[in-house]
Amino acid sequence: MHWRNAWIVMRKDLAEFRKQKLVIGSIVAMPIILGVIFPLATFVPIITMIPQGESWDVPGLLELGSLPDDFIVPWTNQTIAESSFTEVVLHHKTLKNVNLSNCIIISCILEDVIVINSTIQNSSLERTYLENVTVVRSEGRELDGRYILSVSSNLLFIRTKPSEINQVLPMMFNMMLMIFIIVPATLPTIIAPYSIVGEKNNRSLEPLLATPTTDGELLAGKIFSSFVPSMGSTLLAFALGVVLLDVILLPQVNYPLMPNLTWILSVVLLAPTTCLMSVLACVLVSSKVSDVRAAQQLGGFVVMPMVVLMIGVLSGFLFLSPLMVLVFAGLYGCLDLGLFYFVKAVFNREKILTTWK
Amino acid sequence: MITCEGLTKTFGSITAIQDFTLEIPDGCIFGLLGPNGSGKTTTMRMLSCLIQPTSGKALIDSYDIHDKTDAQKIRGMIGLLPEVPGLYETLGAYKNLDFYGQFYGVPKQKRDESIKRTLTNLGLWDRRNEPVGGFSKGMKQKIAIARALTHDPKYIFLDEPTASLDPAAAKLVREYILELKKRGNTILINTHNLSEAERICDTVALLKNKIVKVGHPKELARGLFARTISITLQKIPSSLLPEISSLRYISEAQVNGNQLILRIRNPEENNPQVITWLIQKGLQVQFVSEEEYSLEDVYLKLIEEEGQ
Ligand SMILES: Nc1ncnc2c1ncn2[C@@H]1O[C@H](COP(=O)(O)OP(=O)(O)OP(=O)(O)O)[C@@H](O)[C@H]1O
Ligand SMILES: [Mg+2]
Repeated sequence: MHWRNAWIVMRKDLAEFRKQKLVIGSIVAMPIILGVIFPLATFVPIITMIPQGESWDVPGLLELGSLPDDFIVPWTNQTIAESSFTEVVLHHKTLKNVNLSNCIIISCILEDVIVINSTIQNSSLERTYLENVTVVRSEGRELDGRYILSVSSNLLFIRTKPSEINQVLPMMFNMMLMIFIIVPATLPTIIAPYSIVGEKNNRSLEPLLATPTTDGELLAGKIFSSFVPSMGSTLLAFALGVVLLDVILLPQVNYPLMPNLTWILSVVLLAPTTCLMSVLACVLVSSKVSDVRAAQQLGGFVVMPMVVLMIGVLSGFLFLSPLMVLVFAGLYGCLDLGLFYFVKAVFNREKILTTWK
Repeated sequence: MITCEGLTKTFGSITAIQDFTLEIPDGCIFGLLGPNGSGKTTTMRMLSCLIQPTSGKALIDSYDIHDKTDAQKIRGMIGLLPEVPGLYETLGAYKNLDFYGQFYGVPKQKRDESIKRTLTNLGLWDRRNEPVGGFSKGMKQKIAIARALTHDPKYIFLDEPTASLDPAAAKLVREYILELKKRGNTILINTHNLSEAERICDTVALLKNKIVKVGHPKELARGLFARTISITLQKIPSSLLPEISSLRYISEAQVNGNQLILRIRNPEENNPQVITWLIQKGLQVQFVSEEEYSLEDVYLKLIEEEGQ
């Protein structure tokens, strides 16, 4: 296979493509509208309403006292793990991964515990969530809490529960990421169905087939000429999205969030492989019909289920990990290769040139 | 050299061309003549490896049109002008030609020169960057002709090259074709234009879904018609026609004004006898000439016979 010939076909197609200003417009606009403007318009108002900064007041906290000098870490005689208690009094216990509500806890050691509506005395707390709790003569680190009434305790609060911005952001990122994969799969349905049958109807296929190009070269050229604008406009929108996100979110999070590894891998590997699959499906359709409109319809018809299936699979993973992206991209890449050989195998010059049914 | 043996192509139940057996020597202009649907385009497409024959074989310079790798070589040696120009309408003439030139590996500079030369010859160089969609039919045809020639192919296949050209442009193209022949190219032309075929073709084949007749355009008529002599007399008396018709060696006689049109088996021998006979009758002979049959006559007669 001479890549040069594929390159020539692609350059010609792109030269023709450049003349179609409206098509270019829609291809450039679609990823920007769907991948940038729409998610930002949905989420930015929410994000800006979330209170800024790190300070995470514990509401109702009256006093954060210091411990008297004679405070000693309590001794315990039993370890309780992974259970829940309601309305009990606990003495000299070590509690790990326990849920407590309406309890009185005296001289206990708490680790990774959730305490609600209770009183704690003479205890040591670590990584504990407190809600509506009175803490007396106790020490604690890495706490998270609401409505704590503390008397003479030494408590160190940190934000262990995700803030609301941290709940909203992943949703937004996920949505944007999905769109940056779905859009390049959809864009080829605008261009690729035309690729072969368009030349046939324009009668330019005959002189083209009369040149010494092979089927593979011709198809490769056609595939690239749909792939390049689709991916190009996706990458453009992606760059724009990343810059805008960082600019808008910087005051909220203090460091540039984007792009992260998952995003980069998705846009560099997963998006192109899905885009390629959709291009291949459309080129296949285009080489099998004798009418441009039929190709356009059928192209959409073939690609849509593919996109829906993909959304189904991907949305099963709330957060795509870099590894997951690699796995999917590899899978799609293999499918693409198989599909290319299939398209090439069923490409029949004579039939395309002479069949008008 | 192009050698065809029993080339046959059917489309479903339609036989486009049957048993096409021919040899086209290098350096000649070969014409395929025939009415609409007689299989000219189909034959040309088979020879350019665009479609596969249903049966039969053909070699072009010892490359086999059935073989996939050979087919690629063959395509590289051919410049094809298809029936319909099939240009990229949004692109300019220059871009259209340049695109095709690249496939044949013509270096940029040579491509430039060749495109400039052909477009200038065809009078389109000044408009090379306009989208060809806005060009007239004949202008598009000229560009399509130029496209077949950009890579300087050995074999040039032209499907009705002058069909939509004005007389001056058609003449230009004909001269160009003769020029190409001088350079050693082999040219295959499909045409309906009989006088054109007569003027430029070394050999023509009459097709009617098979080969009806092959030969030099001038020689095709021989044996097809009894020869016709036209004698112009100063005056023709009305009694002459029945009298002359009864002469042994005259198969048919007609009077047209003061012209006597005779079909004679062997003019070389019989003409002097006719003239002597006329002079003895006291008639004054002004001109004697032999009617020449044009390719058109041959074509119409053969195609008509074929249809029966
Ligand atoms: N793609 C095709 N499908 C079906 N039949 C075809 C096809 N191409 C040609 N034919 C048939 O083959 C026959 C010969 O067609 P062809 O185009 O070779 O004729 P032609 O001599 O070039 O005619 P014209 O002078 O009108 O160009 C016709 O009967 C035509 O209908
Ligand atoms: Mg034809």
